[in-house]
Amino acid sequence: MQSFHIYWTFTKKAFLRSAVYRFDVWSRLGSNLIFLLMWGSIWTALYAGREEAGGISFQAMLTYIVVSQFLTGVNGAGTPLWEIQEKVRTGDIALELMRPFNVPLRYLFADLGSVAFYAITALLPIYAILFIVMDFALPTSLWTWVIFIVAAFIGFLIRYCIEMAFGLLSFFLVETGGIEDVFYFAMSLLSGSVIPLWFFPEWLANIAVYLPFQGIYYIPNAIFIGEIAGGEILLSIGLQIFWVFVCFFLLRFVWHKASLKVVVQGG
Amino acid sequence: MAVVKYVNLYFKLVSAGIRAQMQYRFAFIMRIIGLVTAYTGTAVTMWVMLYQFQMLGSWNFYEMLFLYAIAILSWGFCVVLFLHFRSLDTYILNGTFDRFLVRPINPFFHFMSMKFDVASFGQFIFSIFIFIWVSFELHIGWTIGKVLFLLASIVGGILIQGGMLVLISAIAFWTTKSQQFYWVVMYPARNLTNYPLVIYPKIVQWIAAFIVPFGFVNYFPAAVILEKDAPFFPANIGYFSPLVGLVFFLLSYYVWMLGLSRYKSAGS
Repeated sequence: MQSFHIYWTFTKKAFLRSAVYRFDVWSRLGSNLIFLLMWGSIWTALYAGREEAGGISFQAMLTYIVVSQFLTGVNGAGTPLWEIQEKVRTGDIALELMRPFNVPLRYLFADLGSVAFYAITALLPIYAILFIVMDFALPTSLWTWVIFIVAAFIGFLIRYCIEMAFGLLSFFLVETGGIEDVFYFAMSLLSGSVIPLWFFPEWLANIAVYLPFQGIYYIPNAIFIGEIAGGEILLSIGLQIFWVFVCFFLLRFVWHKASLKVVVQGG
Repeated sequence: MAVVKYVNLYFKLVSAGIRAQMQYRFAFIMRIIGLVTAYTGTAVTMWVMLYQFQMLGSWNFYEMLFLYAIAILSWGFCVVLFLHFRSLDTYILNGTFDRFLVRPINPFFHFMSMKFDVASFGQFIFSIFIFIWVSFELHIGWTIGKVLFLLASIVGGILIQGGMLVLISAIAFWTTKSQQFYWVVMYPARNLTNYPLVIYPKIVQWIAAFIVPFGFVNYFPAAVILEKDAPFFPANIGYFSPLVGLVFFLLSYYVWMLGLSRYKSAGS
């Protein structure tokens, strides 16, 4: 319990720190909304006036994109990867290694704080207004809401573990440029963040279902619009839990290896 | 005379920059690979998107690739020439900008030629490959006139995007901070124009044509070359692309110089 208290302090500090950079919050929100406009327009143009395509109604598809963009905002509000990589590059990471806490956990809890601030002050109010003004397919039962929040939270954890494990590769390769781009592309496409898996070509969908990325956006989004329903819900959540464990152990493994291999550059 | 001197100087400064970057050959190659894969990633996303739907607002996959490649090519040149302006606010904040003022050349020019990002080869490789591929797929009949027009509108695109970078950096003369505006204005605008403007609400199209003139970077010129309609806009508006670029860039340059005259060092 004592250790939880330490990590909780990071959450509170990160929350307060975000409050200082208010302009940051606004610019981030502005950028998020522009991308929402972009994807909303793209899907409107793809449906081109049709009521439904591939068994998915236009309204449900639009809702999918809005929920996805909301979750993108949530997932993007934490410590940016380059900040950690910069610490590796400058050697500042050594200071963190000396302290009595687990560094990946400390960043996770700090992220929860900055995400909370961003969500409460910016994302939630704006998206609540959107949902009231526009005609979206909202879940009708409380159960779906609860399950959606659970799925979105697990998705957040999966994304955190994968991204962090990946970011720590910079311990081994001082330059990660190329691999990083492949990684972010895979994450944005295969997670279904902008195109749901059911519109994929079959072979690509078959690849995507065996990867952890779908747990980040596709599963929560599809639960929200009711495309994953009934018994499938528990299956999907189970799959997410499986992946969160795998990714967590991957992160622990990479972190363990990395901290043994700290090469402090320069002095 | 002055022009010749400046051109000579530019190449001297730039070649020093290239030699510096080539010291890190592995990083250099990784960055090029990274850029090419990132752009390919967006192209693959477009392909997946159109796999079921075929058309995005009357544009098919190859037409969209063409549109995208124009944007990437002019952005590549823009990165080479003007990307250094993105870090102007850091210079001002740290007080290191002053050194550009004490040398006997135009500070705008000096700042511009300080850094030359060679990784933009990634943009060139990607976009030239796409141009060749798409020309075959769409049977574009390239005439000398069309090639010249494409080159002129790429120059226009460079000037528009470069002008935007310069304009955003100039904000730092007043506020000492401008990076944020890059992420709110430039980055979303570049992403929005990767797709044909016709899909957006009219007000957005109008802004992209007359306020933040990114429509002239690729959408209007591509519509001319591919002989497509740009609804809500006069036919052949794309021919104005080089002119719009020139005017917008001169305007940005003027604002930058105005900012410079107001500049007070952060000191130390």
